[in-house]
Amino acid sequence: MEAEALKILLGCVIAAGFGIGIAAFGCGIGQGMAVKGAVEGLARNPEASGKLTVTMLIGLAMIESLCIYALVISLILIYASPMAATVTKLLGQ
Amino acid sequence: MESLSIQKRLFTFVTRTNWILLCVAAILGSFFASQGFTLGIIAGGLIVTVNFHLLYRTLKRSLKPPYPASPGSVLFKYYIRFLISGLILFILISKGYVEAGGLFVGLSVVVASIFLATLYEVKKIIFEEAV
Repeated sequence: MEAEALKILLGCVIAAGFGIGIAAFGCGIGQGMAVKGAVEGLARNPEASGKLTVTMLIGLAMIESLCIYALVISLILIYASPMAATVTKLLGQ
Repeated sequence: MESLSIQKRLFTFVTRTNWILLCVAAILGSFFASQGFTLGIIAGGLIVTVNFHLLYRTLKRSLKPPYPASPGSVLFKYYIRFLISGLILFILISKGYVEAGGLFVGLSVVVASIFLATLYEVKKIIFEEAV
């Protein structure tokens, strides 16, 4: 029983680690591409700074929210998983 | 000129809708959901809304010619902002102050307002073309 509980706990921790890692990887690439495009546009046309800033802001906010979602999921998996009570009970026995 | 006004309009719409959606969700949560759920909505909504404003300030300063901010300061502010957000989320979740569902509703405030702004602009374009 204890071994099963440990397996669940281990699975949650691994899932949390991989989850936030993959999300940060994807969001990093996305944000990097957005900033690259904006800076290239700004270099070509410096007067377009206002337009670029707002458009990029909205894009970055959307991308960043995905990473925050992943962070929340990871934290929930470790600290507030629906399985946490079951695992604690199993480990306590 | 027209394009710039669209950008400004979009930004104003998103910033206002953020606060409106946060207030509406918090009020609805306080009436129809538990205290933890409502706290989650308020905490999540505040985190993303404040983040959005801080991101705007950082970007505005960093991309404004002729004296853009140094890349180091932009990165530093970015990481500090993200670290503080992560720390607050960590405390809220690990101590069990909020419910996960409420937190998700709160964190979706900015995404929802951007979605609404897009719908609003699309509607405007369609109706302008029809006229």
